[in-house]
Amino acid sequence: MIQTQNLTFKYKNQKTAIGFPDIHLKENEHLLILGKSGIGKTTLLHLLAGLLKPETGNVTINNTNINTLSSSKLDKFRGENVGLVFQQKHAIQSLSVIENLQARLFFSNKKENQNKLNDLLEQLNLTACKNNKINQISEGQLQRLGIALSVVHNPQVILADEPTSSLDDENCEAVINLLKQQAEKNKAHLIVITHDQRIKSFFENTMTL
Amino acid sequence: MNIWKISIKNLKSKSFYTVLSIIILALSITLLLGIQQIKSSFEYQMENNLGDIDLVIGAKGSPLQLVLASILHLDNPTGNIKYTEAKKLAKNRLIKTAVPISYGDNYKGYRIVGTTDEFYNFYNAELEKGQFTKEAFQVVIGATLAKNLNLKLGDNFKSSHGLVDNTIDVHDDKLIVVGILKPTQKVIDCLIVTNLETVWDVHDHDDEEHTDSHESEHNDSEAHEAHEHDNEHHEHDGHDEHDHETTDEAHHDHENHYDEDKEITSLLVQFRSPVALLNFPRKVNESSNLQAAIPKYELDRLYEFTSIGFKTITWIAYLILIISGITIFVNLYKMVKERAFDLAILRTYGASNLQLIKMIAYEGFTVAIIAFLAGFLFVKVGLTLVLKTARLGFKQNIIKTLTFEDGMQVAILVFIMVTLSIALAIYPILKMNISTILSNEK
Repeated sequence: MIQTQNLTFKYKNQKTAIGFPDIHLKENEHLLILGKSGIGKTTLLHLLAGLLKPETGNVTINNTNINTLSSSKLDKFRGENVGLVFQQKHAIQSLSVIENLQARLFFSNKKENQNKLNDLLEQLNLTACKNNKINQISEGQLQRLGIALSVVHNPQVILADEPTSSLDDENCEAVINLLKQQAEKNKAHLIVITHDQRIKSFFENTMTL
Repeated sequence: MNIWKISIKNLKSKSFYTVLSIIILALSITLLLGIQQIKSSFEYQMENNLGDIDLVIGAKGSPLQLVLASILHLDNPTGNIKYTEAKKLAKNRLIKTAVPISYGDNYKGYRIVGTTDEFYNFYNAELEKGQFTKEAFQVVIGATLAKNLNLKLGDNFKSSHGLVDNTIDVHDDKLIVVGILKPTQKVIDCLIVTNLETVWDVHDHDDEEHTDSHESEHNDSEAHEAHEHDNEHHEHDGHDEHDHETTDEAHHDHENHYDEDKEITSLLVQFRSPVALLNFPRKVNESSNLQAAIPKYELDRLYEFTSIGFKTITWIAYLILIISGITIFVNLYKMVKERAFDLAILRTYGASNLQLIKMIAYEGFTVAIIAFLAGFLFVKVGLTLVLKTARLGFKQNIIKTLTFEDGMQVAILVFIMVTLSIALAIYPILKMNISTILSNEK
């Protein structure tokens, strides 16, 4: 379960705070948040992930009000319960594909399960490059690694920021399907924030900012 | 997976910078440790060799030269003095022991010192095997020398004239090794010790061959004798209360007529009480044609001269250390800046600030520790090689091993510097706003 109440945020240089509509997702519910560029989509996502502190209101994930947590507890909570997919495809350069996943597990205090890791690599078609460094894999592999990194630790919530904006139609569909598939496997909420109208049809719940 | 592994992988992934940092830091550590070791070896060597020698009496000249020549066996002697004169001085009540030494020959660059058995006491030297010299042409050799020249008991060799190895001016008389000393870590390890007679006889023998006219020799000794008498008168005048002693001396001198025109290089003196240092040296310098030099004082002066060089090199080493500190800092800082996105992502993975700080600190300290060990190794190997090839002229390769304190001093310095660079590099992490980094990085 994830919900927000009266969420507002004030940027450093601005006088007035911007408000966001309340979100209320029950178990196994996903959400697509649509909005134009510059309207504060990423801000909302960062508020949901606890990367930003709201001016007012709060975010509750599985009965935990994350805005009441200390910053170290919040780091820990985020590591264990939230999976982020970034707009910019990124992973730790000095580590290989499998090591990135292992590091993700390490920081979220989850035990490594070699079988589960291999399954995940298989599902996302990353087995062939699992020992490659990040600069040795293709764009598509990096995109799929991003998805793997957001789900490897069995999070409660998967937050994806513009996961499809730079993809063609075919890959766009593939990525959304992979994200939904992984979210359902993990019984996690999937919240996608995008300006990409193509993926509207994949979601039952949509919200426009 | 753990933080250590990630740190090591980070270092490996930018191996060029890592190796560069290690080399620069190791170089400055080598320099610092090396200087420390050479300096402490130098001082230890000097002070150790001083032993219980309070005063050196020799021919007039530079007091420093006299000390260097007679105690450290480094420089040329200032000249010779009459043995009888030296003996007279040695009778003084203030003197506990007075050891005459005489030299002027070498064997393969190692000095041959004619002296008495008391000479060994200055260095607490004991026999490893064999016996002390009993008669002329027998020698006892130091441990280093025995090892370096591979000399054994019963071996014999011919000495050459002067203090530098040469094959032109070789004496005919063979010297036989009758004893080998245990290592003392002092200058005696590199000396060939014999009795005074050996040195005298070797040269007498040569004199007979080389002197053209006996006439001149006779004249010489007459002149010496006249001089001698003058001195005795002087003594009488100044010390009436020593009547008894001087009679003794005259008697003694008469007995050892052999010694009459013998010369020694210098007299090593140990006093009964340090109070004697106040007046005795001045008395000798003023009232005779001999020179008394206080080794401790002369060596302190020498340190003053040499310390400028040591200080300069030490400062250069510190400078290099600072530069390598900056290099490490720049590398770490660059890493933090360049990988701000990486670090922000690690934070979203659940890594706490503390874990990221640990990661960077591990990287810095890994470089520092490897550099320190490499520096330590360089010093050990480097100094050994330098000493083996250079030999430093004076055949002494008694390098004092680095003390734990010396190493610790440098280690603490490096530690502080590395900690400082890490702290400065980590600062941006603490200020890091993950959200800004993630949304700005496009």
